[in-house]
Amino acid sequence: MTNAMDYQFPQQLFPSFYNCGPPDLVLKHGAGNWGCYEQVLPQGGSGPLSSWTFTSRHQARGETWRHTEPVPVPLMSPKNCFLWPSKPPNPLDFTKHMQNFFLDHCKDAFGCMGEILSENFEQVHREARLTRMRYGKESVYNVRSDLDMMKFKMCPRSYSSKSLDMYSALLSDVVPSVPPQLLGSLLHEELTEQRDRALFSEGATGGALAFVPFSRSGGDPQRGCLLYPGNQGLDCLNFHRVELQHRSGSSSCVDAGSSDPFSFQLKGPVRQISCVSLFNDCCVAVRSDRLCGVWRFAETDKPRLLQVVNTREVATCINVSPHVLGEILVASESGAANLWNVGRGMQKVREEDGNLYFNAKSSWRWCEFSAHPRVMVYADRTGMELTDIRESPVSSHTLFRISNTPECRRGERLILSRYLGDVHTFQHLVTTQYSAYIMDERFPCMPMLKWDHMMQSPPMFCHAVCDSASSGSAVGGARTTKVVLGSQNSQEITLLQYSGGRAEATSSRGPPRALLRPRDSLKHLPVQIPHRLDLATSRLSSPAAGLTCIQKRGGTESGGKECICILQLTEAGDIFYQTLEPELPDASRPPAAEDEPPPLKEATGSGGQTAQRLRPLDPRLVVSDTSSDEGVLGPTQGPAVPRFVAETPEREQRAPDVHSDSSSEDSEPRGRGRLPNYLGQQVIVNDDPELDRVSGLDAGEKDGEVGRAGVEETVGSSSSGRAERPTPVELSEGALVTWKRWLQKLVQKSRKKTLRPRCPQHLTVKTEDLLLPGGEARDPADEERAQSLRRDLRACMSERSLLVHGTVSAPFQAPGTVAVPDVVDTEAWRDEISHRLTISWQGEGAWRAWWEERLGLNKEEKANALRRKRRAAKEAKRATGRSLDWSGSFTSSVDYQSRLSDFSDSSGWSSAVSQGVWSDTNVHLYQPKGVLENRAATPPTTLSATQTHTPVATQPTTLSATQRHTPVATQPTTPSATQRHTPVATQPTTPSATQRHTPVATQPTTLSATQRHTPVTTPSAAQTSSSTPAPSQTPKRESMPANQRRPKRPANDYLSSLSAPQDEPSQRDGYFLDGESTMDAPAPPVAPSSSQRSLLSQAASLWSGLSPSLPVSQSSQGRPGPSQLKKKKSRMGF
Amino acid sequence: MDDLQRELGPLEDLEDDSDSSDGNSSKGKKSKLPLVNILHAETSRETGFHKSTRACLERIREALLHHRWQEAAEYMACYPQMLDDTTNGTGQQYKELIWRMSAEILHHHPNSKMEDYNNIYERMKHSGVKHFLMISLEHSFHLLHNGHIEDAKHQLSVAESWRHGKESAAQYQRMKLIHAYRSLLDYMIWCDKKLSYINTTEYPDCGENQDMNNYFRHASVNLKDILKTPGIWDPFILSYVEMLEFYEDHEEALKVLNDYAYDNTFPPNPNGHVYLYQYLKRQNTSERKLVKVLKVLHASVPSHELMLEYSSLLLQSEKKTNTQKAFGVVLEMLDFACWRSNLDVWKLLKAIIQKLQLQDDWRDSVAGKMAPRKDWWPVLHFTSFHASTDSQENPELKEVKASLTKILCPDLMLKYTA
Repeated sequence: MTNAMDYQFPQQLFPSFYNCGPPDLVLKHGAGNWGCYEQVLPQGGSGPLSSWTFTSRHQARGETWRHTEPVPVPLMSPKNCFLWPSKPPNPLDFTKHMQNFFLDHCKDAFGCMGEILSENFEQVHREARLTRMRYGKESVYNVRSDLDMMKFKMCPRSYSSKSLDMYSALLSDVVPSVPPQLLGSLLHEELTEQRDRALFSEGATGGALAFVPFSRSGGDPQRGCLLYPGNQGLDCLNFHRVELQHRSGSSSCVDAGSSDPFSFQLKGPVRQISCVSLFNDCCVAVRSDRLCGVWRFAETDKPRLLQVVNTREVATCINVSPHVLGEILVASESGAANLWNVGRGMQKVREEDGNLYFNAKSSWRWCEFSAHPRVMVYADRTGMELTDIRESPVSSHTLFRISNTPECRRGERLILSRYLGDVHTFQHLVTTQYSAYIMDERFPCMPMLKWDHMMQSPPMFCHAVCDSASSGSAVGGARTTKVVLGSQNSQEITLLQYSGGRAEATSSRGPPRALLRPRDSLKHLPVQIPHRLDLATSRLSSPAAGLTCIQKRGGTESGGKECICILQLTEAGDIFYQTLEPELPDASRPPAAEDEPPPLKEATGSGGQTAQRLRPLDPRLVVSDTSSDEGVLGPTQGPAVPRFVAETPEREQRAPDVHSDSSSEDSEPRGRGRLPNYLGQQVIVNDDPELDRVSGLDAGEKDGEVGRAGVEETVGSSSSGRAERPTPVELSEGALVTWKRWLQKLVQKSRKKTLRPRCPQHLTVKTEDLLLPGGEARDPADEERAQSLRRDLRACMSERSLLVHGTVSAPFQAPGTVAVPDVVDTEAWRDEISHRLTISWQGEGAWRAWWEERLGLNKEEKANALRRKRRAAKEAKRATGRSLDWSGSFTSSVDYQSRLSDFSDSSGWSSAVSQGVWSDTNVHLYQPKGVLENRAATPPTTLSATQTHTPVATQPTTLSATQRHTPVATQPTTPSATQRHTPVATQPTTPSATQRHTPVATQPTTLSATQRHTPVTTPSAAQTSSSTPAPSQTPKRESMPANQRRPKRPANDYLSSLSAPQDEPSQRDGYFLDGESTMDAPAPPVAPSSSQRSLLSQAASLWSGLSPSLPVSQSSQGRPGPSQLKKKKSRMGF
Repeated sequence: MDDLQRELGPLEDLEDDSDSSDGNSSKGKKSKLPLVNILHAETSRETGFHKSTRACLERIREALLHHRWQEAAEYMACYPQMLDDTTNGTGQQYKELIWRMSAEILHHHPNSKMEDYNNIYERMKHSGVKHFLMISLEHSFHLLHNGHIEDAKHQLSVAESWRHGKESAAQYQRMKLIHAYRSLLDYMIWCDKKLSYINTTEYPDCGENQDMNNYFRHASVNLKDILKTPGIWDPFILSYVEMLEFYEDHEEALKVLNDYAYDNTFPPNPNGHVYLYQYLKRQNTSERKLVKVLKVLHASVPSHELMLEYSSLLLQSEKKTNTQKAFGVVLEMLDFACWRSNLDVWKLLKAIIQKLQLQDDWRDSVAGKMAPRKDWWPVLHFTSFHASTDSQENPELKEVKASLTKILCPDLMLKYTA
């Protein structure tokens, strides 16, 4: 077991001062002892000067071990667990918690007093008929309904209840069953404690994960028994046979026969597992808070419980004797250390009331065995003592003491001590929150070695891996002993290496090395969608609860490679492992870096395969995972999975129903179309010959392979950034698959339970009716068209091509083209309404100005403006002309209008503006639908983007001419008839009409042409067209200028009520144009439209009578939908 | 005002070395949890520059912790610009930080050269007074490590002559170390000279060699000095004693060794006793004195190698009690795991028992020693598992052990059978 040469003591030790006294060192830099040698020892001797060599206490180089994977890999599928918030609670948040309590458990909070008080209220109510008291029964009912409303999380401002407030003012200190002051202080206390526990919970010291190797030789594969807590509360002790295998090209086997973990249900969470195997017999001691149990098992024997004891105080430590089987040391918070001889009872070894050396205000105690079977180590936060229990008043002397150890730092406390009996008979490891010490029992007080471990939270778990006797691949000659430290809260694992301790003085080898943490692994994995990311992040960052290592020694007889597998348990019950391999001394950098093709190429082809081929040897921990988790298989089982996880058949059968949703979640571009390959039959999904050739080894590989194409890309691109780095450890195929499945199962697990079942946060509005006109019969032809459109759209999306007009309009193509109407000569139409309509094409402003002129409404305004202008001019003169034009433009509406019309007249903007108005109305009218469209349709985005950038400038001017013509052609409406532009009036009445007007394609064809295609005249057809992405683009593009212009409109423009009529004709224009051009459409719109028009006109006249001057704010209030819509869309365009 | 105070800060800082207190821990509520103080946390008065340097530092730290040296080196190229920052108060800890990180990167970077090291060490040494001694010492260690003993000695001499006003305790200790290491190098040169002198001279009377004497004098002053301070001084005392022996100053040597072994202010270094024992043995001191030294050593380290000699010495003496003592010593050695399968010890135990058996009351004395061990000795030594492994690995040991079972544990049925 131990090296027989351990009795040697170093002939020379490194020089060091021996300082006593309270430590006051505060390290200001965070660099620890990087870069320093600390001390040197001369070696050689008495010869010439050049014969002397020096060894330093901190040697720069240690063994180089490299990770086989860039992430730790989960060992088992995720189980249900309780997830604590990753952030420690803030004690000052107690009001929030009180509020939650009052809301969630109102029966408990107010039950008693509520019952009592309600009687009184009833009495009061009887009297209240006369006196009309303010606090009557009715108001109590109101309060009750208000309270019911409180279940919904709502904005407290908008949903405040007056009566509730009054009652709370009146009764707040009476009603709660527990007085709020008391509850508050207790909660604060509790939260403080919880925070402390979250930051540092000393109960977990030692760790609840252990591995017992079965054969000491350490051949290939390395078998053993992994001990870990299971279940949600970690209150189930599992004995699980595991096997560390080397996965080479062909050899891989699963020990399926004895795969069930042997579990014992305990009465409390497992805090610490200590085990020792002696003579092929293993003794396992398990510490729970107040229970300690001892099990015994061997490779051939099943574990059996030997004895359980109940400790009066909380037990803080349990340790099995490495010398005598069945001797266990138990320490508890009372300060007593007991030697527990299984079957024979407890014997108190030592008891301390206070701390050993100074008052550290800690009741944490620790005890351990030492090199001598009857000398114990008794430790607390201040230090540790060697206690000889043979003598009746036990004699003890200091082994480690915070203040006596050189270069202790202020506030340093002992966190963990561990007897390193397996490594060296006399060595102990002591960790504090800053440092790790190697102590030698033979030379107490002075540490043989000290590191700054540079971990962010104190190391509470450790595992020492002794230097394997078989040397050869070592870099620096002598082998090193590795100490792996694990911290709880931050999950850090640090690897320290040292050598010596026998004939040579102990010296550290290389700086501390941080190993991988589960919480960092998501960076290396495919990108997750946000809620899964949150879930996975919080799960992965739950604090660590244990640490152990499986060491595999390279032996010539087995031919296996040496490696260390480090397993880490988290409080969520997950175990992650990472494997370290010694770096070959001749290859300074691993060959994988150069050999692998550029990662981005991998993404397109069979990248995963290449990676796999290049990694013939991949040590991997194998667990036959048939534990009772009813989780379901994900769709993407890669090549490796079936080898490692023996799935129960019923789980596989359940796979299909999961497949559909998980594949959609998994951001696999081709996931949906394929057949799931969960039963292992070969499915050819890719014609790539190379892929076929490669995957010939394993038929089942295909599925995961192709599905992961998108995934590879993300991995590849992230790795391409550090391509030149000498650490090109790529995520291997198997690990990736394991992770994917793990994440999928995690999501499935979490879907079943919600931590806090509450009512939905907001009152929901059902949108189904809005989406589908309920119960309306659909024309099968339309259905067909819609289907074909959907198909086209999907095809376009999958090819990442544009959905061009031709594709869209093909199913709707009217037989025979309709000629473009002639350009309208506006001069020819001289009557008033034609003039007005012509003006209206110049823009809303011009049109309004026309109306103002016409109605003479702006006389006063004009006079005012004139006056103001003069005044302004005078002032401007006084102020010697600064920003004169500005003030003018703001004050004078005429000026503004003219400017505006100037603006709209210039170049092709006119058409844009007029269209804007027009389409604005459209969109406004269909607001609900427009929004829905916007959500539903995900257009080929590049298209709309380019069009927004070059809006109308590209359109020929003839286009505007065409459109200017349109109103004239239609001219159906009078302004009075169209003054019905309040949303309330219009929206219910014109659903069918509005839907019909969504203009479709925006393609290089002229706009008039597009408009010809637009009118899918039946409501149902309009519905189908709305499912295509194209319609939603058109209004956006066209309305952009109008949208830009709107904010400029003077806020107090009382004529804006007239803006409503302006909309109508243009809308009608569109409508009538549609009617003209698509008479061949299946259902002519004439009848509904006319009836609606009359309805509209009635309503409008009513409104015009009621509110001749609709404030602009209101009219524009009707529009936020469209404007938002447009903005949204423009964003979507990119 | 704040800036002024920060400018003034370094002056105060000069007085105390790195072991000075800082504000972090003292102000605010002190948590009783043993947690690590987060260093270089975000402060309120941060500029973008501070933020980016802090981020850079974090990257370097990450890279160093994960042993990604190339990446660390690249970040490190940018980091020292933060020394230009004047608003950050004293750059003391940052200078040390930069020095440590640079040195660590150089240790591992494939392209690092000696010039780079010298560059870093020299620059950082002179960038601040507080860490001059520390970096000088480390510089000399680096030179020593690479075999440049003369250069290292030069570095140490330069550091020795360095003076700066008020010294802190740590600086004082560091200065002592520098003296001691310089003297150690003097001793090595002395050895070198001695060797060449002995080789060249027909009459090796080195006492006359003036050159060697000089080195001896230089070395002895400082070595003697540091041996007065409590600590572990194994290499220093060995070299000092060797020189003293050479010049036949036995009185001084013995005094120094005795102090080193028995002074209570010193840590209980087993090597102190070992050196004394070895010296006494070289001087052919009487066995009684040797036994006395070993007795003390036995009290503190009962598992020490020298216990074999101790028990054989005890065995050689004619006193009756000494045999029993030897018996106890060997039994105690066998308590420890590392001796349990050592053939020599078991043989010795057999010899002791054989001698013990000559006495009348040997059964009582054996039972007396074995009584506290009867619970666990059989499990430690005499199980069937031990029997099988011993017979496989060391049949001779098996034989010796088996012959002793009946004597040691007469009233137990042991499965350890020959």
